[in-house]
Amino acid sequence: METAITIQDLVPLLPVLVVTGVAVLAMLLIALKRNHTLIGATTIIGLGLALITAFLVLPFAGQQVTPLLMIDNFSLFFTIVILLAAGFIAVFSFPYLYHLKDEVEEYYLLLLIATIGALIMVSSNHFLSAFLGLETLSISLYAMIAYPLHSKEAVKFPVEASLKYLVLSAVSSALILFGIALLYAQTGSLQFTELAMTGGSVADGYFITALVLLFAGVGFKLSLAPFHMWTPDVYEGAPLPATMYLATVGKAAMMVLLLRFVVASQALSFHSVVVVIGCMAVLSILAGNLLALVQENLKRILAYSSIAHMGYLLIALIALDDASTRLGVEAISFYLIAYIVMSLGAFGVATVISSSEKEFDFVADYQGLFWREPWLALLLTAMLLSLAGIPLTVGFIGKFYVVLAGVEGSLWGLLLVLVVGSGISIYYYLRIVYRMLLQPQLDQAYREAGWDSIGSYAVLALLLALLLLLGVYPGFLMSIIEVVSVSI
Amino acid sequence: MLDLIWLLPAFPLAGFLILAFTGGGLPKPVVATVGAGSIGLAFIVAALSSYEFLSSGQTSFQLTLWEWMAAGDFSSAFSFYLDGLTVVMILVISGVGFLIHLYSTGYMSDDPGYSRFFAYMNLFVAAMLVLVLADNLVLLYLGWEGVGLCSYLLIGFWYENPANGYAARKAFVVTRVGDTSMALGLFLLFTQLGTLNIQELMHNAGQQWQVGSGMAVAASLLLLGGAVGKSAQLPLQTWLPDAMAGPTPISALIHAATMVTAGVYLIARTHLLFELAPTVQSLVAWVGLITLLMAGFTALTQHDIKRILAYSTISQIGYMFLGLGVGAWSAAVFHLMTHAFFKALLFLAAGSVILSLHHEQSIFKMGGLRKHLPVSFWSFIVGSAALTALPLTSGYFSKDEILLAALESGGSGTLLWLGGVIGALFTAIYSFRLVFVVFFGECHHPAKEVSGWNMTAPLVVLGVLALLGGWIHIPVDAVFSHGEMAHEEAHPSLFIHALMIAIPIIGVGISYLFFCSRTWSAEKLVQSGLGAALHKFWFSGWGMDRLYQAVFVTPFVSLARLNRKDIIDLLIGLLVTLTSQANRLLVRTQTGYLRWYAASVMAGVIILIAIGALL
Repeated sequence: METAITIQDLVPLLPVLVVTGVAVLAMLLIALKRNHTLIGATTIIGLGLALITAFLVLPFAGQQVTPLLMIDNFSLFFTIVILLAAGFIAVFSFPYLYHLKDEVEEYYLLLLIATIGALIMVSSNHFLSAFLGLETLSISLYAMIAYPLHSKEAVKFPVEASLKYLVLSAVSSALILFGIALLYAQTGSLQFTELAMTGGSVADGYFITALVLLFAGVGFKLSLAPFHMWTPDVYEGAPLPATMYLATVGKAAMMVLLLRFVVASQALSFHSVVVVIGCMAVLSILAGNLLALVQENLKRILAYSSIAHMGYLLIALIALDDASTRLGVEAISFYLIAYIVMSLGAFGVATVISSSEKEFDFVADYQGLFWREPWLALLLTAMLLSLAGIPLTVGFIGKFYVVLAGVEGSLWGLLLVLVVGSGISIYYYLRIVYRMLLQPQLDQAYREAGWDSIGSYAVLALLLALLLLLGVYPGFLMSIIEVVSVSI
Repeated sequence: MLDLIWLLPAFPLAGFLILAFTGGGLPKPVVATVGAGSIGLAFIVAALSSYEFLSSGQTSFQLTLWEWMAAGDFSSAFSFYLDGLTVVMILVISGVGFLIHLYSTGYMSDDPGYSRFFAYMNLFVAAMLVLVLADNLVLLYLGWEGVGLCSYLLIGFWYENPANGYAARKAFVVTRVGDTSMALGLFLLFTQLGTLNIQELMHNAGQQWQVGSGMAVAASLLLLGGAVGKSAQLPLQTWLPDAMAGPTPISALIHAATMVTAGVYLIARTHLLFELAPTVQSLVAWVGLITLLMAGFTALTQHDIKRILAYSTISQIGYMFLGLGVGAWSAAVFHLMTHAFFKALLFLAAGSVILSLHHEQSIFKMGGLRKHLPVSFWSFIVGSAALTALPLTSGYFSKDEILLAALESGGSGTLLWLGGVIGALFTAIYSFRLVFVVFFGECHHPAKEVSGWNMTAPLVVLGVLALLGGWIHIPVDAVFSHGEMAHEEAHPSLFIHALMIAIPIIGVGISYLFFCSRTWSAEKLVQSGLGAALHKFWFSGWGMDRLYQAVFVTPFVSLARLNRKDIIDLLIGLLVTLTSQANRLLVRTQTGYLRWYAASVMAGVIILIAIGALL
């Protein structure tokens, strides 16, 4: 097998290379002169450049770069999504960190490195690159979560959150590695497709154990029940931009990787694997929604809600088992984008009124927001309604496609759970909306919106526009997804 | 011009939107201009398009604006249909409607809800125009419900008084019974005939159903249910007298001239269907006759000026139903029009009287107002003459046509005719009782007419119409051409003619002897045993309210009491308990301890592997 990298191989890798270059550049700049604005701008512009190169390399799509990476339309599509999300988070991070009385520049470095990991993950079709990408992402995240280390008031327990995430994530990585090792021992290959080829020849029980270990590890990263318990603690403890990154880019990259693995390896041809994933889906939907019910902390509510949303996605994943593979892939792709938009929006509202000095993450802090900051309240309302899956929002369309995939696959039991879960979820989303309409408690001093927040407000407006646009005309995005999903 | 008939409902609707969204912020002259002006514009459109339609010689004209909804085989368009019947209706609605709006600009001028009043009124006119212009029954139903809503809003216009709110609710609930029946009729027609377009419907019904077939009977019965609800006929007439709680122009516009005649319009519009079900058609006649007699007797005993007029309205719509029932379609529509003129006149004049006496409505506290309120007096004289059908007034022509048609219809026709004539006698007695008691005799309260030109002019115009409206030839021949051949030939004897002219005059005479010259004493009649009982019975509207109270309201209320805890709610409450218990259980797992989390991860892996291995 040819393993040397040629120039032709490097072209499709350009987006990843640009991000890497920017990371190196940022590191050098920090060494030369610490300047928050400079590093922040470099990061945002660098991510923008990478985004442009991602569009430029579209004609070179469909290329296997070394046995490790597959740069096709699908991976480039999610490269674009992740670069956009990472860029938005960098924009949100800037005002948040502005007043942190500590060294803030390295945060952007971590964000860039985490993004490299995420980009590698969405392009992998080999266990080695997948694991490398995953660990690059995770290790950067440990540091991002613990970032406001020296700030006293800031967030409550960044170190505790980071440590919890570190230990548990290491456990889950170990599970993944064990699963990979078992598969490698049988097939002698780390290619995703190898499993599909050697499938029937080995005893099922062996494969099933390996796959369950693998799914358990992945389930942890996606915060699926019963591996979900870390989620609220880490979400709550981490500073808001890091939470945002973990919730959006981290989950999306993992989900894309899982999707590619499941399609390539045909892991779902094992009935018991389907059952195991089904169990995880049911548990996630019920546990996530039930736990959020009376929660008073916005970050924890969003954490529980993300557990439930990942559960919904598993239904579409199981639907891949059926002949109608395309629909499942499309549903997951659309839902991921919807999920990123709504999560960024919801966390974004919290970010623009919070700062590293003081975070507003209790529902009580949002009481009367409608009377104080009507536009922000409207935005948060739209995001929450979208998370609840109310029509005219992107969340509704996303859920619609998931249900459609489920119906095509005749997964009636799982769909019933989805309906019950969605019903429960409306309560806690609307509870926040209701609180925003009450009389304000004026003792809460939100962060003043200065020049540094202009970008954040622009991104929020863009997210709201996307939320409504994709909610009313989903056809545009869906036709793109239909094209790109052919390649996997 | 005909392509612009959509402007007809559009103007009032625009007026409503302007008034509704400015929320009473506009100055009164602007509100008056928008409120009355939009109806004036609608009338101009109605007049021009009617002129063009009639001079073009077409029998019908159709305008489809857009598709409203489509699902499977069903589709319904926003589509208007114009023929002779519609022309009469739109002219009456926009013409009389405009006069009443103009009158209201004066009548309501001191009311704090001025803008809201005109907003509702405009919405009403828009809905009513949609109702009569509708090309299909779904659109008609939209207008039908729209006028019902406005009627509810306007009866309860002075909502600070709970009694008015009660009256509004009563009207809404009682008409809802009829509306439900009509909706069922629509469902039946669609499932049987596959369309709800009125013209296609009539055509298909004629093709598929035999005369007297069960389906035709069922469908026309259900539609009749809707018609009696809206038009306040037996057995759903009880809401109309209470509806007088609204401002008097409302009573004139909605509860006399237009909305309550929607039932008559509906039956005339679907008359081919009723011809397929002769039993139902004769039921229509009998409903009309019984209602007109009952309401006539009741009107005789009332002493609230508006309630007398309300019962009189019920009674006159009874005549229209009688006309419809004997197949005198155009006579019924003719009476609809003349009734709109003279009853609107009477209500507006009554409004002037009430306003002059500072909202006094009992006729026995009035008296001798002839000199003080000349305009109202002459309006009442003209209006009552037309209502009584004195010769050459408009009411004479229309009522005459209906009664003659009844006489010629054969079978039980003579009986219907006789009933109608007796009704006419009582009409004369109660309407001139009102005139004599209010305007003659001793003067209890000296009063001064409080009317500007905007209140006088509508009275004058309506007075002229009430007098001369009988000479208008309504252009409905083409609409009803298949049903009425028989009547053209007949010539009733001179005796019949003389009798029908004499009866109202006799009635006026009786009324004079009782209530003006006091030669005969009404009090003595009422105090005698049988008289007192009858008076009490009639005064209560034949005890219908008490009957419905006992049969429907009381059992329903006690059922509701029985279910005070709400069984359904308990079930839903169970769901809540279940969910919150599950939440409480799960929250315990979120301990925050790393060791517990790690253990749960491992336990989860083991359990999942077990599940995977076992299945």
